[in-house]
Amino acid sequence: MKPGLGTAALWAALLIFPLAVAGLPSAPFLQDVGSTVVLTAISACAWNIIGGYAGQVSVGHSIFFGTGAYMSLAVFGLWQLPPVAGVPLGVAAAVLLALLIGAPTFRLQGHYFSMATIAVAELIRLTVGNWDLFGAAIGIQGPATPRSGWDLIYRSAVPYYYIDLGVLALVIATTAWMAGGRFGFYLRAIRSDERAARSLGVPVRRVKLLALMLSAAFTAVAGSLYALKVGFVNPESGLGILVSVQMIITAALGGAGTLYGPVLGSIILVPLQSASNSWLGGGGSGLTYILYGGIIMLLARFEPGGLLQFWRRGVPWLRRRLRGGRAADAA
Amino acid sequence: MILLQAAVSGLLLGAVYALFSTGLTLIWGMMNFINFAHGEFVMLGMYAALLATWAGLGPAAFAPAAAAALFLLGAVVYFALIKHVMRGPMLAQILSTFGLALLLRYSSLFIFKSDFRTLPDSALSGTIHVLGLYVARAQLLAGAAAAVVALGMHVLLTRTGLGSRMLAVAEDRSAAMLMGIRPDRMQALAWGLSAASAGLAGALMAVAYPFSPVVGETFALTAFVVVTLGGFGSVPGAMIAGFLIGLVEALAAYLIGPVYKDIVVYALFVAVLWVRPQGLLGARAR
Amino acid sequence: MLLEAEAVGRSFQGFVALESASLTVAPGEIVGLIGPNGAGKSTFFNCVAGDIEPSRGRIRFDGTDVTRMPAEAHARIGIGRTFQVPAAFEDMTLVENVMVGGFLRHRQRGRARDRAMEMLRLTGLEAQAGHLARSLGTPGRKRLEIARVLATEPRLLLLDEALAGLTPTEIQQAIGLVRTIHGMGVTLVIVEHIMEVIMTLAQRVLVFNHGRAIAQGTPEAVIRDPQVVEAYLGHRRRRRDARP
Repeated sequence: MKPGLGTAALWAALLIFPLAVAGLPSAPFLQDVGSTVVLTAISACAWNIIGGYAGQVSVGHSIFFGTGAYMSLAVFGLWQLPPVAGVPLGVAAAVLLALLIGAPTFRLQGHYFSMATIAVAELIRLTVGNWDLFGAAIGIQGPATPRSGWDLIYRSAVPYYYIDLGVLALVIATTAWMAGGRFGFYLRAIRSDERAARSLGVPVRRVKLLALMLSAAFTAVAGSLYALKVGFVNPESGLGILVSVQMIITAALGGAGTLYGPVLGSIILVPLQSASNSWLGGGGSGLTYILYGGIIMLLARFEPGGLLQFWRRGVPWLRRRLRGGRAADAA
Repeated sequence: MILLQAAVSGLLLGAVYALFSTGLTLIWGMMNFINFAHGEFVMLGMYAALLATWAGLGPAAFAPAAAAALFLLGAVVYFALIKHVMRGPMLAQILSTFGLALLLRYSSLFIFKSDFRTLPDSALSGTIHVLGLYVARAQLLAGAAAAVVALGMHVLLTRTGLGSRMLAVAEDRSAAMLMGIRPDRMQALAWGLSAASAGLAGALMAVAYPFSPVVGETFALTAFVVVTLGGFGSVPGAMIAGFLIGLVEALAAYLIGPVYKDIVVYALFVAVLWVRPQGLLGARAR
Repeated sequence: MLLEAEAVGRSFQGFVALESASLTVAPGEIVGLIGPNGAGKSTFFNCVAGDIEPSRGRIRFDGTDVTRMPAEAHARIGIGRTFQVPAAFEDMTLVENVMVGGFLRHRQRGRARDRAMEMLRLTGLEAQAGHLARSLGTPGRKRLEIARVLATEPRLLLLDEALAGLTPTEIQQAIGLVRTIHGMGVTLVIVEHIMEVIMTLAQRVLVFNHGRAIAQGTPEAVIRDPQVVEAYLGHRRRRRDARP
């Protein structure tokens, strides 16, 4: 998808959103939802690198998210450092875990990788949940009040919004750059037909590993950003399966394997989730996941390419209809 | 002595693991498809048994009833969903049953809430004193029944005409079609059997252990570990591995602590992937 | 010698798919592999291509031992192959497909693209460069596969029934393309069932039956070999003569 008017409009809208709603009475709420949209988009874009582009379906990506979150708050909890100092640590740990999972499974058929991601996610969640160093079941808290500018504690959601937006821009730029070059071509070839890719000299295992490591790194950053904003993490909120589900459905709904699909998915899902939480209260989240399950199934069955693919197929069809039903050549 | 007790307990539960894992590996070997909702099928078997007892069915009837109900569900899932995503991209295949798992799990949570339940007391309660060990009657029954059925599945696949037709489809779909076998039917049958094995296992477990809608996730992971350890598509492998994992779990719980039993099993899974991914009896992992 | 395969064999869990076959190919040759289905020629082919690891024997390419090398390494040292059932990257355009091959030798996107367009021109697919691969029919996909593997600059090209399912006209075009590729200096090993192709193109033929290579020689010599006639050609001849 070449950068065009739509992309520019999207970024413009994202840039001015918090300022545009600042005058409204519900501004703090809207800005908070906005920052959640951007944060969710980051982790969904990160998942997209391995799940969408490379076609290796991780169903336990919470591993990397939780690692980032925990490491950030742990450096505060243990050594009283500002949480942001934990980001490199979180990234390093995530990349190591990516190697641990990917190295053995990427030489096997795809299911092993997927199964391994769930198993390791649970393994880590249970381990952390029983480890006092990381707060066991209770979790870790961040700084209650800012001790310096580096703690990045703000009362308003707006600074978080812009920090997250900056990181989102970085993730998208990296993904775009990667997708246009040899690495991106190799990823798509692997997703399409691994055996054929191999026969053309594509170093399949190495490419998959690199993609997973990159994805893990970005997901860890997202986890750290989450910990920064919320100020707290526990085994459920950092490493639970619902964290993985959120990434998957956000990317898949918008369009896995496309550049902006995850962003679109986030813009649609996060406000809806927020609305359902306010209207239905606690019970709402149970229904949300029933709905998510249904949506994921429908996507898999009818349109694995997500909304962007649906749009791309729909537009020529619509154009043909508008032209009076003349049969057009296949693309 | 208590160690032996734990081991026996573990083997009995392991028999149930073996049962539902043979269902998972059957599909895997036959259609190169991993059902991420398999754990939920086990969970639904437990609730099917619960509903059956509410409906007044006795212990002898609710297990087969649960198996039958899940058989139907498996076939329906095949025709409505699996058949269509099977030949598509990996993402669609994995998401299809992953989404189903979420749907089943959260619907069950919505309907039944998250409290743990047990089946109402029946003739199956109490313990038996055998060879100096105390074994819960219900656990013994569950284990024994599971072992028999798992063995039966193996016999079905390897020694009956139906079984060889199913294996023919797994081997070479087009060739099987030329021989007059209907791949669709065989695959739907496989799904039904797979789900039924899960449902039956669930019903048997419900007799002896408390359950809740959230247990599906743990059973799914157990099944993944068992089928990987057993080897791609190997029913005998899954059977042996099932017993092994049950044993390992029980010993880990006894020696290290109940909290760590799952951690040990999942760590074992990672070790198997690193050291011997083809498992015990698997031919290939690529 | 460009390729030296010595006593290559492969078994799958007790079933002997290929017992033993040897072949040497000099640079610039065109060698044909023929034999009935299940005779072991595909297994041999895939061992040379690096898709399967042989259970026995050795394979050397230009002096380097490639017996245990993975498929991607085979491509890198100059062995290319096509697939019996064309394996195009469906959701990528034709030029993108070929670029995947081009990237093996050209790191930069621009250079890979130029090379890709060159190969598309060579195979007559230039006009559809921007179309998705899924829009092609089988003959087009076969040509795409050839363009794609040529972009990897192979010294040895293994063609797996590349001309199966083509119309007589398409077969003639394909033969012309193979000759052009040969003219570029590529050594070829082709698996084929279509006898006209083997007779026209192959300088030497290796005949497989029951997991062994039973005969080797010029196409003319091989057809006359009674063993070969018995195993394969006799059967084919009867079928060919029966057709109107």
